[in-house]
Amino acid sequence: MLQSLPYELPELVTRAPLDIHHATVLPEWVDWNGHMNVAFYVTAFDEASGTFMRNMGLGRRYVDGKLGMTFVLETHVTYDREMREGAPMRFITQLLARDGKRVHLFHEMFHADQGYLAATNETIVMNIDYASRRSAPWPVPAAERLEELWATHKDLPRPTKVGRVMGLGKK
Amino acid sequence: MQAVVSLRSARMKLPPYPMIELDLAAPLDRHRATVLPEWIDWNGHMNVGFYVVAFDKATDTLCNQFGCGWEYTREKIGMTFVLEAHVTYDREVKEGDPLRITSQILDYDAKRLHFIHAMYHADDGYLAATNELMLMNIDYATRRSAPWPDWAMPRIETLAATHKSLPVPPQAGRLIGIKRKK
Repeated sequence: MLQSLPYELPELVTRAPLDIHHATVLPEWVDWNGHMNVAFYVTAFDEASGTFMRNMGLGRRYVDGKLGMTFVLETHVTYDREMREGAPMRFITQLLARDGKRVHLFHEMFHADQGYLAATNETIVMNIDYASRRSAPWPVPAAERLEELWATHKDLPRPTKVGRVMGLGKK
Repeated sequence: MQAVVSLRSARMKLPPYPMIELDLAAPLDRHRATVLPEWIDWNGHMNVGFYVVAFDKATDTLCNQFGCGWEYTREKIGMTFVLEAHVTYDREVKEGDPLRITSQILDYDAKRLHFIHAMYHADDGYLAATNELMLMNIDYATRRSAPWPDWAMPRIETLAATHKSLPVPPQAGRLIGIKRKK
């Protein structure tokens, strides 16, 4: 387990849910249906997970310094409304659970101007040791930040779209 | 149902393009791809978003079986929209790796299709990822949900009946969570 990180960590944002990630739908994310393709919702959400990780102190410098990486194990997306090229996106992120090497996150993507919910993403992200490419405990400073985040997120209500099992739900 | 009848997709009995011969292999095992350089991220493997790009192309291969592939949209008849997706990332794949994607229909109704793809490393054989999807048919003009066109429904029924013999993969119907060890 890494006891420290050899770079300065950004100021920790403990607002719950976390609301610091913003992005724009890029032209190359749009498909033949004229809207953001399903895959790029996942890319956009992955960047929101990246923002959560940076807040924990595990941003690009963590990978570039060959210390570690974070891998997504599993992800569940609900596509609630279309997004067109250039649409501004606002994300909120709730920490649902955590353990020694994983976080369970729930993101919601909103159209930043019109306010509507475009999609949700429930995801599990795991810490990975750079050299072995195997799972590893969070570095100590990141684990400490995670506990601070957990303290502010743990009492948030559980969003209704968490824990979905897919099915046609025939009447 | 007056509104439905006015839809172009509902008026047409046959598509204005040829349909391919139905492939009754279970699961469908037609889709092949290669991991492109631009699909690789700073972790040196295929990025999570591009697994879904690869799976989305496999969805097109599946939809092509029942005449709702890209020509369906090119001809401005209809589209297929994903309502929900669940991906399990089982193992890394690297640039240039050959992929084999199989597709299994789990369920369907008049305008939706529930299925799961499995992505394998085509040479090494290991499972790299799975993608469970709920897909809905969309009328091109209204961008609203619509019943599958006449040419698609019998083919969907036949494919689903063929795939019914397969066991449901353990990745289907998964609930996400951190499982605590006792």
